[in-house]
Amino acid sequence: MVSILLRHLAVAGILLYSGAAFAADTYQANLGPMPLDASNRINMLGRGDATATLDSKTLTVSGTFAGLPSPATAAHLIVGAAIGVPGTEALELTVAQAASGSFSGKLTLNAKQAAAFRTGRLYVQIDSQKAPTGNLWGWLLPQHVDAPPGVPQQGPWFLPQLDTPSR
Amino acid sequence: MPIHGLKLGAALATAAAVTMFGLTSAAPQSAGPFTAVQASAGHSAFLENCASCHNRTLQGSGEAPALAGSAFMSSWGKRGANELYGVIKASMPLGNGNSLSSETYQEIVSFIFQANGATPGTRPFTGAATDKIAGFVTGKTPAGLLDAPVAAAPRRRAPVALTGLTVAGVVKNYTPVTDEMLTHPSENDWLMHRGNYQAWSFSRLNQINTSNVGSLQLRWVWAMDEAGRQQLNPLVHDGAMFVSNNRTNTVQALDARTGELIWENRIGPVLDNLENANRTMALYGNLLFYAATSTTLHALDARTGKEVWRTVVSTYKDDKIGGMTVIHGKLIIGLTRCDDRSVQDHCWIGAYDTATGKQLWRTLTIADKGTPGGDTWGNLTNDQRAGADAWITGSYDPELNLTYWGTGQAKPSRRDERGTDGDALFSNSTLALNPDTGKMQWYYQNAPGETLDLDEVYERVLVDHGNQKSVLEVGKTGVLWKLDRTNGKFLDLAQTVFQNVWVKFDKKTGRPTYRDDILKQKPGTALASCPSPQGGHDWPATSYDQPDDLLLIPLSQTCAMFGAGSQQFYEMPGSNGNLGRISAYEARTLKPVWTFQQRSPFLTSIISTAGGVGFVGDFDRVFTAFDVKTGKTLWNTRLGTGVQGFPVTFSVGGEQFIAVTTGTQGGSPVQKPATMLQEVHRSQTGQAVYVFALPKRH
Repeated sequence: MVSILLRHLAVAGILLYSGAAFAADTYQANLGPMPLDASNRINMLGRGDATATLDSKTLTVSGTFAGLPSPATAAHLIVGAAIGVPGTEALELTVAQAASGSFSGKLTLNAKQAAAFRTGRLYVQIDSQKAPTGNLWGWLLPQHVDAPPGVPQQGPWFLPQLDTPSR
Repeated sequence: MPIHGLKLGAALATAAAVTMFGLTSAAPQSAGPFTAVQASAGHSAFLENCASCHNRTLQGSGEAPALAGSAFMSSWGKRGANELYGVIKASMPLGNGNSLSSETYQEIVSFIFQANGATPGTRPFTGAATDKIAGFVTGKTPAGLLDAPVAAAPRRRAPVALTGLTVAGVVKNYTPVTDEMLTHPSENDWLMHRGNYQAWSFSRLNQINTSNVGSLQLRWVWAMDEAGRQQLNPLVHDGAMFVSNNRTNTVQALDARTGELIWENRIGPVLDNLENANRTMALYGNLLFYAATSTTLHALDARTGKEVWRTVVSTYKDDKIGGMTVIHGKLIIGLTRCDDRSVQDHCWIGAYDTATGKQLWRTLTIADKGTPGGDTWGNLTNDQRAGADAWITGSYDPELNLTYWGTGQAKPSRRDERGTDGDALFSNSTLALNPDTGKMQWYYQNAPGETLDLDEVYERVLVDHGNQKSVLEVGKTGVLWKLDRTNGKFLDLAQTVFQNVWVKFDKKTGRPTYRDDILKQKPGTALASCPSPQGGHDWPATSYDQPDDLLLIPLSQTCAMFGAGSQQFYEMPGSNGNLGRISAYEARTLKPVWTFQQRSPFLTSIISTAGGVGFVGDFDRVFTAFDVKTGKTLWNTRLGTGVQGFPVTFSVGGEQFIAVTTGTQGGSPVQKPATMLQEVHRSQTGQAVYVFALPKRH
């Protein structure tokens, strides 16, 4: 069973991206639209990217965005309950008040926030005039290689993992 | 319409369940802000535009939430009538918001109010009324309302006048299909849904290969009836191709080499309620079996199209026939959409005599009180136990004489709505049945007590490695399961896309544990679900490339906030906005071999061939050939609309052909990307079968 579990971990990329990997300094995020439906999707276009580096307790975040339907109004770093699960606790970033631009921040994390960062539970959120509760978001995940669309990657490849002791 | 609700019957579930899950029922209130005329017209409009997903009883189905009952009250009771109108108008029909007139939306909302017990008044509903919904609805559907005669809805399409055998002809040199042929199918044919009993979707044809597939050409195309959920798997035998059109329930035989129509039987009925995909037919002897959307099985003479027998499978109005296959002269079918909780409407897998249409056995996929597994539904009465739909064709091991079927989730999908947090057997399970008797040899529940509309119903692929006989399946969570198919014992698993629903698995049994907030769900609250109900994997099926021992799996990468009156979708973390993914895993070890992603999701199964080529189609109209060993694209072309269905390959006169269908409608795999891919525009018509081959030699 141990070998099976190890293979699970290897298959899922755990050996590369969780545990020790989550202790890596540099994380990256690709920003896309917040949860949407047909009634609000027109206000939630755009894309962005971010990188974040944790040095002791200091987290340095920077990134860019473009294509928002309305000017950005705020940017936050938010602690989620798990990767892909929205949260409420927010740290503020500075952001260009425009449809395209950059955002950044240098933040001191407490132990809980640092643990959240290392386990992929922090995400960047950008609000805009027409989407005041969130236009773009992206989860800060361990640095990894992304192949362009349509270009095959040979295994194993990056899949985010929930940080659970049993895996 | 993304409004969470619970059917009336569920609202009236046991008092204990109501207390347990904190549901409340509203008291009768005053007249609503709409008129009887509006509600009546809204009933017709609802049937035409909404019932295909939400069910004519407003119970919802799959990812489409119920629009009546206590969960509707929970989600919408405290909100204004204008808010409900605003959401429905902007987003419905899903993917086509604002496509109806304002008056029609007002009428539909009026009908929803009436179906929740509101009394019509004198004030016409304009969409502006801010009356709190709980102030005038009760959540109780008036007796007889849903079965009341409905004024004819204006037809958007011309009715099809002809019925019966409209084109007469004969398939020449047709040989009866035998058990031996089904067990060892000729590579020239495509005799059953997945190509062989093992559900491989693999062909030993190799004329089209990695070195020449780049010169593939369109050989012929056949336009099909518009509307209806087109997810067809054509069948091919002795140079004849059999296709079906589910809106008109029309079956056609075509010359597979030229596309010439041989015969056509417009069986009917013609339905405006386009609620079910008909993915496959079946062949045996001289008969072709077709499951009409009227829940009637038809046996046609495959040579002439003439009907030999027909039998009504279920009298419940909303039941549909899912998968079908023939084993030992028995037509094995699965029943789906069998979840009317106002009656004891259960799903089942059953067998019919291919010669007469007589039912031989049926095995329920729901455990009733007092039967094995019955205690996994808590105190729910039998009529409240629903779901476990068998909507995908099972596979078969001739040596073990076992047929393997998957089942869907329990219904309503969320535990807080269905009133039990039990495992709900035999939902989301793998069932091993004796095809001669229907006896359940073993079961394995992949997703006990599932709660986010994440089916485990999909294809069961049978693979042997030495003495190890395994059955492999990928469910909506994207977890690839490997079981010992002799006894149902858990062997292994692998995660194919990101998922955040399960936080751990039991190492010995594979039993998953749900995320804490999912376990503690409360009515009216949305839950984050990665994957979304679109599924990390859905009906577009896996291929097993046997020479390379590769499972080639179409995957999707979306998440959803599920519940609280709506579903809202978002990109899967780590996907970079790529909704589509194909991944190849070695079947023996589940080791990842290659993967690629793209913006649009895939909407066909994958087929692989001995020529080393795989084929797949996508949402954005692209049909692609790729190298099965590396995933590299070798050829692609763009078709009329979304490439949707089950590609097949066959040979006639020494030539290898590839066939694939295009289609325009569907459930979550179509609806989620239709909302998210704002830059992708597809034609709303264009259903057809396309056939490709290498250039003719002169």
